[in-house]
Amino acid sequence: MKTKAINMVDLKRQKVLIFWAAAITIYGIIFNYLPLAGWLMAFQNYKPVTGLLHSQFVGLAKFKLLFSDVSFLRVIRNTLAMGVINLAVTFFMAILFAILLNEMASKGGKKVVQTISYLPHFLSWIIVTGILHDALSGTGIINTLLLHFGAVTQPINFFAHEKYFWPIVAFANVWKETGWNAIIYLAAITSIDPSLYEAAAIDGAGRWAKIKHVTLPGIKPTIMILLLMNVGNVLNAGFEIQYLLGNGLVQNVSQTIDIYVLKWGISQGDYSIGTAAGIFKSVVAIVLIVICNHLAKKHGEERLF
Amino acid sequence: MKKKMVSALLLTSMLASMFSGCGKAQASGGAVNEDGIKEFTAFFAVPGSEINDDNEIQQIIAEKTGCKVKETWLTGQTAEEAVGTLIAGGEYPDFIEGGNGSKQLYEAGALVALDDYIDKYPNIKEYFTEQEWDQLRQSDGHIYWIPQFSNIYGQERACTHNDEAFWIQARVLEWAGYPKVETMDEYFDLIEAYNEANPTMADGTTTNIPYTILCDDWRYFCLENAPEFLDGYPNDGSCIVDPDTLKVIDYNTTDTAVKYFKKLNEEYKKGIVDPESFTQTYDEYIAKISSGRVLGMIDQWWDFAYTGEDAIKSAGLDEQGCQYVPLPITIEKGMKNQWHNSGGVLNVSSGLAITTSCKDVEGALQFVNDLLDQDIHDLRFWGVEGEDYLVGDDGLYYRTPEMRKQAADTAYKAAHTCSYSYFPQYSGTSRDGKNAMKSDGQEQEFFDGLSEPIKKCFEAYGAKTYVEMLGTSEKPGPWYPMYTYSNTLTTDTPGGTAWTKMGEIKHQYLPKVVMADDFEKGWDEYMKAYNECKPEDFISEMQTELERRMEEAAKYE
Repeated sequence: MKTKAINMVDLKRQKVLIFWAAAITIYGIIFNYLPLAGWLMAFQNYKPVTGLLHSQFVGLAKFKLLFSDVSFLRVIRNTLAMGVINLAVTFFMAILFAILLNEMASKGGKKVVQTISYLPHFLSWIIVTGILHDALSGTGIINTLLLHFGAVTQPINFFAHEKYFWPIVAFANVWKETGWNAIIYLAAITSIDPSLYEAAAIDGAGRWAKIKHVTLPGIKPTIMILLLMNVGNVLNAGFEIQYLLGNGLVQNVSQTIDIYVLKWGISQGDYSIGTAAGIFKSVVAIVLIVICNHLAKKHGEERLF
Repeated sequence: MKKKMVSALLLTSMLASMFSGCGKAQASGGAVNEDGIKEFTAFFAVPGSEINDDNEIQQIIAEKTGCKVKETWLTGQTAEEAVGTLIAGGEYPDFIEGGNGSKQLYEAGALVALDDYIDKYPNIKEYFTEQEWDQLRQSDGHIYWIPQFSNIYGQERACTHNDEAFWIQARVLEWAGYPKVETMDEYFDLIEAYNEANPTMADGTTTNIPYTILCDDWRYFCLENAPEFLDGYPNDGSCIVDPDTLKVIDYNTTDTAVKYFKKLNEEYKKGIVDPESFTQTYDEYIAKISSGRVLGMIDQWWDFAYTGEDAIKSAGLDEQGCQYVPLPITIEKGMKNQWHNSGGVLNVSSGLAITTSCKDVEGALQFVNDLLDQDIHDLRFWGVEGEDYLVGDDGLYYRTPEMRKQAADTAYKAAHTCSYSYFPQYSGTSRDGKNAMKSDGQEQEFFDGLSEPIKKCFEAYGAKTYVEMLGTSEKPGPWYPMYTYSNTLTTDTPGGTAWTKMGEIKHQYLPKVVMADDFEKGWDEYMKAYNECKPEDFISEMQTELERRMEEAAKYE
């Protein structure tokens, strides 16, 4: 491709795009870059009464404190574990769901299923956790079914055991987001050239072979981009769901970095340590994205930068 | 192009998700509305229910005092989280009650010092003695908040036991012929026997929950602090104070604590303790209480009475004996119990404060002063004469059964009643020398309002009030209660850090201990984790505070 100099005609033709780009840039500066000044707090013994300008600087003391705290290491583990599990499951389920939906013959049925499946996305977590709490309670539908079919003799107390917590969170995420995440893949699938399917059919490909050799390669760029972006989000394993579903018994596996920040930064009033934990999270996210992007580049795949 | 679309879409959704989290600024000030009424805002860091905007009594008070306060309450957060968020935002409502976050508000410089104003307002001045005002001074020597509760005017008129106890439904006691219940063993034997004979409620299908434990966040006192009461000590809350030696004792590690949790463990294995105890939320707990299924529990009266008990009354379950009475339980027979203490408790750790965002401090304080006038106080806690209560020939206030019924009705409360419940208030006797400051202290009115099963129960035990079910004691000493200090601890001190960690460990291990297959092993694990929190740091800071309080008190003798 040859690059040519930008002239006024181009600018004029793209004025809408330029306008949006400018708006988003300004937004980014105001809401994403300017607040970074607050990172100063992490290097201070910040007190609201003295403010950012007059608080005492303590260097890396807050970071040292942070990493010598066993419970912080534990929340990193929890966040990473839940982040990776959630990413893997929701990612896989969304692709699977999109492909299955695409294979549905009935147009109407497809629309109905699609609409129903992405509705949970619009529910807030407080409602989803409320439903989960009811469904998984001693007299809830799950335990009633398990008892009915004789799978257990006593109702399982799902929220009292550490081993159930991560799977419950993963399940909730899948239930809530699969339909929504699948939309992008469905969009990608519809833009695959139909002649490819026809050609495949002529070559004797069945359904399975078409999925494998046409659909999947067709949406591969989308998959790669989404994977890259989501990897950076691994440490955003969630806040609401763990906060709302957690209790004293499972706190060892339920607390995430965000909850830690809330607890020490806001509740205990140590804004510095909260900020330090937040910085740590951002740094890890950037490192992860760079690594994955590099890997993608190396394998000649679609990438972010 | 298609790829661009995808990334544009992603970008938009990403940006949209970043919008969340921006708080909205709170309007503030004491601005005057079109009716000439000053309007203030207030935030209370406790859960509560908002009243309707056109609430009738609020309107009457506004006409009389020229002021109105829009109250908001805690929802779904802890007090510290809510307060921390306010501090981070830097904008406050006019009035605030910070609960456990009060110290943080003070440290953030968010509160107005009240000392210079107090003398100008006679009702506020009268509200505390000099000694009590001095107890409220913070480290900089100023007074920032006014505790609202347990202030007794004139003679004390306590009918309800507004504190913690082992509660049991009246129907259980009636079935057993009102036996004497003094120990945990007797209490659980009774519940077990009743539940075996009557596994369901009167409808024959709803199964009973013999014993449940509320364990949600800060409300886990229902599980954790019983050992201090079982040993016959009063509610110092975070520790025991030996009144003879004036030494602070940790109630978490006493022999009584072991016995108490072992008993719970046994009952859990027998299926008497509700298996959902440790995972239920406060709302789920209240729903259980309201259904009348729960035979017994430990709780503070105020924690379930105005929600659970009121619901029991509304549903007519009170006539089936589903209301609760407290029992004087100790670890051994024949010990003196101090579940109930007479006299007011000055909780110096928090109270109503005015923030630096308030533009009309004098107007705000004038309103607080007016709320303590007898006629306004009657409006707050009795209601409108002729509508909510009647005055007898002897000058005593009383209510008809219909009035009592509507007073417990949620919709009526929201539309009509406005007690400004987190503003300073009195209990005890009214300035007329006859009536009680609040309706629940009016003896005859209290007794007439009781359901038949409760009346019969009181009669059987020779009690006239809830308090007489337990007996009462004087407050043990000038230090009492110590929880007003532990509530203000922050992680800035080793003791405060220990206190926070102890809380975390107890939240995690106490349920485990109760559910353990092998109690001894579970207890050992708990003690190992507990001792790693350095509870001795906490105890030594409490000891220092105890000594400080004794010295302060000595100055006034």
